Amino acid sequence: MTDMTVRSTPAVSPALVVAGRELRDLWLSARGLALMLVYTAVLSITTYLVASNQELNFLEQREAVGLIVQTAVAVGALLVVLGAADSLSGERERGSLESLLLTPSPRGAVIVGKGAAALSLWLVAYALAIPYIWWLGRDVDTFGVAAVSGFVVGSLLALFLTGVGLLISAFSRSNAASLSVSFLVLLALYVPHQMPAEAMRGWVGELLLRLDPFTSGLLFLDRLIVHEHTAGQEIGLLVAPIVAAIALPAAAVVAAGRLTLLGRGRS
Amino acid sequence: MTTPSESATALAIDVRGLRKSYGDKVAVESLDMQVVAGTVVGFLGPNGAGKTTVIRILSTLLAPDRGTFAVASVSSSNPVEIRRRIGVLPESAGYPPAQTSEEWLCYHAQLFGASRTAARETALRLLAEVGLADRSRSRIANLSRGMRQRLGIARALVNDPSVVFLDEPTLGLDPRGQQQVLDLVARIAGEHSVTVVLSTHTLAEVEQVCSRVMILNRGRLVADGTVAEVVRSAAAPRSGVLVVPAELRQRAIAVLAAQRIPATAASRPDEIGLTLPVDATIEQSSTAALNTLLAADVPVLGLAFEGGRLSDAFLAVTEGANDD
Repeated sequence: MTDMTVRSTPAVSPALVVAGRELRDLWLSARGLALMLVYTAVLSITTYLVASNQELNFLEQREAVGLIVQTAVAVGALLVVLGAADSLSGERERGSLESLLLTPSPRGAVIVGKGAAALSLWLVAYALAIPYIWWLGRDVDTFGVAAVSGFVVGSLLALFLTGVGLLISAFSRSNAASLSVSFLVLLALYVPHQMPAEAMRGWVGELLLRLDPFTSGLLFLDRLIVHEHTAGQEIGLLVAPIVAAIALPAAAVVAAGRLTLLGRGRS
Repeated sequence: MTTPSESATALAIDVRGLRKSYGDKVAVESLDMQVVAGTVVGFLGPNGAGKTTVIRILSTLLAPDRGTFAVASVSSSNPVEIRRRIGVLPESAGYPPAQTSEEWLCYHAQLFGASRTAARETALRLLAEVGLADRSRSRIANLSRGMRQRLGIARALVNDPSVVFLDEPTLGLDPRGQQQVLDLVARIAGEHSVTVVLSTHTLAEVEQVCSRVMILNRGRLVADGTVAEVVRSAAAPRSGVLVVPAELRQRAIAVLAAQRIPATAASRPDEIGLTLPVDATIEQSSTAALNTLLAADVPVLGLAFEGGRLSDAFLAVTEGANDD
């Protein structure tokens, strides 16, 4: 036997090996770059629209900054959830999951590695959003707050949605089903944020705002950037995103133990 | 009765009472099988016989409903350790088209615990072994199907396994590709001293490289042994050809028929085709035919027998397999 065989302690953490491979596949292929091209196109159009609205005095400059940060976070979240949703069901559909499951690597490590690649979409996307935030916020001294709060909230939501996407992907027989369900979940999370303010009044509305990590995260950004509240004043709005950012990825890692091919033996 | 762990020392695979069903459909029923280390086993069966299910159970991808097994002397209660010691080429394995052959093998070697340097050494060695040394930097998308299958076999060897499962490795390959894969299977079995379980529909492949045959039908093991043993135990029909003077052929056929020896006119005017009884040896059958003809004053100018073929045995033991 060669020196590499039947080792109980791997030379490199399997999670790092999977993450490295996934990151190379994502960023050295056209996939990651194409997604970023679409992302920057969305940001460019949004920035142009809010900048022209500013000139017409329809939007305060702080509102414009708040809008671009929320757009960056929302579209970044969409990329993350789709990236995570494709990770396992995509491999299952392409027939390469079986080889991965035949290795002694812990399933949880495979999930962590794939989740890291999905999260990288958020990190790169937000780095691309920084110049837009700076451009819109340069005259009102709000760039720092906007950039930091956007990164914190976006990262929490990205972690949460990575968990959501991985869970859905782990138990979806087809990639199309995984992507569709994940997209619908994201839309459902976005609904309370889009409802009229009147509809969200009362204890039910308040509860919904605070329980939905997506809505409460975006509201947190709005309060800090547009209304100039401090983080301490609005920290309650971060409870749901923080809990979700821990619980969902943890659930995905735990559920990884039940990761299977979801097909039957054929002959 | 011994348990798998007690008797597994000389056994590469030891299966006891395995059962697996998918809803109402029973895929594997009361399966017992033992494979001695170092054997190349042909794992045969019609579509839906349960071969892939058995391979997936033994490679720990599927959990059985009942039964126990040990692979490479490791009990089924330790699936991670089993995965460390086996190599598998899955049926319809998928390959990442954008990766190179070397990258893909390195990736899997690292997942089996190798350092980056050791993984690269292993990848290059195995690529040379499967005849893909000059394609190490080629993207998998640019490899032919036969090359991909050989790459898949290299992947199955990346952890230097003691048991290798190859599920339909020659499926969809042209004759040259099939021969390359079979040569490779024979070579790795010899050079790596591994136990190989070769699942296939191509019986000629089994006769060529396997020292043992197992035939599965409707989830049950219906034949097990060497090719000769399986043919004999399956009572596969055998045939023979008698050469007699052409003008006496009809008489000879009538005489044999009178003795209940099935005989028919063959294509050549002086030949008679014989179908031998399945419960008699070739010696018994030939003696009976010769004695009958000599007693009737029919000279026998030639006599040749064809042994039973694996394909005949396969058809005999899997009769009615695709009826449902």
